[in-house]
Amino acid sequence: MSLVSGPGRGGVAAGLPQELSLYMDKHVSYIQSLDRRKDEREYWLTEHLRLSGLYWGLTALHLLGHPDALPRSQVIEFVLSCLHENGGFGAAPGHDSHMLYTVSGVQILATLDAFDELEARVQGGRLKIGQLVDIAGLQDAETGTFAGDEWGERDTRFLYGAFNALSLLGLLHLINVDKAVGHIQSCANFDGGYGTSPGAESHSGQVFTCLAALTIAGRLDLVDQDKLGAWLSERQLKNGGLNGRPEKKEDVCYSWWVFSSLAMLNKQHWIDGDKLANFILQCQDPQMGGFSDRPGDMVDVFHTCFGLAGLSLLKFPGLIEVDAVYCMPRAVTKRCLSK
Amino acid sequence: MVNYSDDPKWADITPIPQDDGGPHPLAAIAYSDEYSEAMGYLRAVMAKEEHSERVLDLTEHIIEMNPAHYTVWLYRAKTLKELNFDLKTEIEWLNPAALKHLKNYQIWHHRQTIISQLNDPAGETDFIDTMLGPDSKNYHVWSYRQWLVKQFGLWKGEEGQKELDWVDGMIGDDVRNNSAWNHRWFVVFGCGEENIRDEAIVNREMGYAKAAIHKAPQNQSPWNYLHGIIRGSKTALSSLKDFALQFASLENPDDVHSSHALDLLAMIYAQDEDTKEKARQAFDLLANKYDPVRKPYWNYRKETLVN
Repeated sequence: MSLVSGPGRGGVAAGLPQELSLYMDKHVSYIQSLDRRKDEREYWLTEHLRLSGLYWGLTALHLLGHPDALPRSQVIEFVLSCLHENGGFGAAPGHDSHMLYTVSGVQILATLDAFDELEARVQGGRLKIGQLVDIAGLQDAETGTFAGDEWGERDTRFLYGAFNALSLLGLLHLINVDKAVGHIQSCANFDGGYGTSPGAESHSGQVFTCLAALTIAGRLDLVDQDKLGAWLSERQLKNGGLNGRPEKKEDVCYSWWVFSSLAMLNKQHWIDGDKLANFILQCQDPQMGGFSDRPGDMVDVFHTCFGLAGLSLLKFPGLIEVDAVYCMPRAVTKRCLSK
Repeated sequence: MVNYSDDPKWADITPIPQDDGGPHPLAAIAYSDEYSEAMGYLRAVMAKEEHSERVLDLTEHIIEMNPAHYTVWLYRAKTLKELNFDLKTEIEWLNPAALKHLKNYQIWHHRQTIISQLNDPAGETDFIDTMLGPDSKNYHVWSYRQWLVKQFGLWKGEEGQKELDWVDGMIGDDVRNNSAWNHRWFVVFGCGEENIRDEAIVNREMGYAKAAIHKAPQNQSPWNYLHGIIRGSKTALSSLKDFALQFASLENPDDVHSSHALDLLAMIYAQDEDTKEKARQAFDLLANKYDPVRKPYWNYRKETLVN
């Protein structure tokens, strides 16, 4: 899956949401085309993101109702070629294993219902992956938070990643959930939001990771929900888009993180959904497909995934239902979590 | 352009081609440029676990072309350690690299590792100033500043005062810089419960936020700061009524200078049975006139006013 941006730009003239269309077929062929762009230099320069790129592309296709638009067996083959002996995934073959790509690997296998294939190819594969996150010591025994890899960069993104992957694998019991929950609480700020670590500025992306982890742990009772809901709803700007922090620009990906967070708090209705849908739809390239961060910029697979996920959460007609906590099709998370 | 295949220094290495996974490895793709050649040599030195000066040169070259390639950074860090390399030299190399790649994650983690090994923050605050020049809200830079403060205890005594003066300068440059406001909170109240219980400090900080609100009444950051102090110090909300009235009043519904002031007034009015109707009016003004994009939120707030 290429992470090359473009070729097109997002830009649909403003209008009422009921008048704007979603160019579903264009988006499907846009994502399919990304795998055929290996002759471009940027394809190789973005190799360190490849597995996440595949997750974004695949999720977008599932939400568009075209789960078979990428050949399933080849996708699985690629994912497993990124799996290391230690149970972690690298972004591409030959790249070190890292929490972020381990989560993407698990999410892709879950979406494709391919845990059995994993087991067939790597004996005890699920447990192996779960143990990377646990026994390899990625959880800090003292603070409860998680590192991305053995080098120890710590961030609430990695904590959420661990909760996401382990819950999909049915292995959440491997880690100290209470301790991790305590760490999330220590990242709560005076303005009601959450940052990357205790004291770090509130940021919509980090609010999403903290809130999603607390949702998985069943501990939303620890959140000052009105206060955080107010902070999140203040992220909507006059043009309908949402930003990541006060006084910053709107962006399609923040639109997802803010809106999904509001959904976890059951407060999606606190902002203007029509205006948000309108903003996201304006970021499409109606000719060649794909979404950009804001109208006028180049499209890419990352914003395509989060644009579609946002529209799905807004119940835009024709899209498959998304899970606000996992950013995966709801049917997939239901299947995995009921096991 | 750096070329490895013709360089006698690298003659002993056979580059390892790209494997893109899957049943049909893409090694066969005739794709040759500076980057893919360098990566071929990196794969080869990694395979034989070579840690040498030339590996530092090679990783430097690849990082220049593609600083987000996390595996390259990790291999470089390993090599520095194996060679017992002079870390001050490494920091000198890192400075311009960080300036070139403002949004990169790896560079900051690498820097943090090296500075904690050096155990000396000298020069780091100047470097941060340089970094904040082009992007004064850069999340990585502010997080790194917090790490420095924590790691070297820069919130106490003379160092603490210096940190406070510095962040005051940042807010002075741009009163809407939310990152700077967050850092002020971190410096003043982030090191324990002590300061939020200190009346003099609480008053000083409330005065600071109020002065900033006078400069830009619709700016969210100092309002959030003020609310944070009030909650933390358990100050009575009603003590802010006169302040809020300077920016909004129900007597002049067409002349509201700050929706945040109107929100605060509503909160104050909501506390007293006799003024609940006024709170309702304030929420209506917010829903219909001053912040209609969040109309459902203001209506929710109105509904929570129990009779």
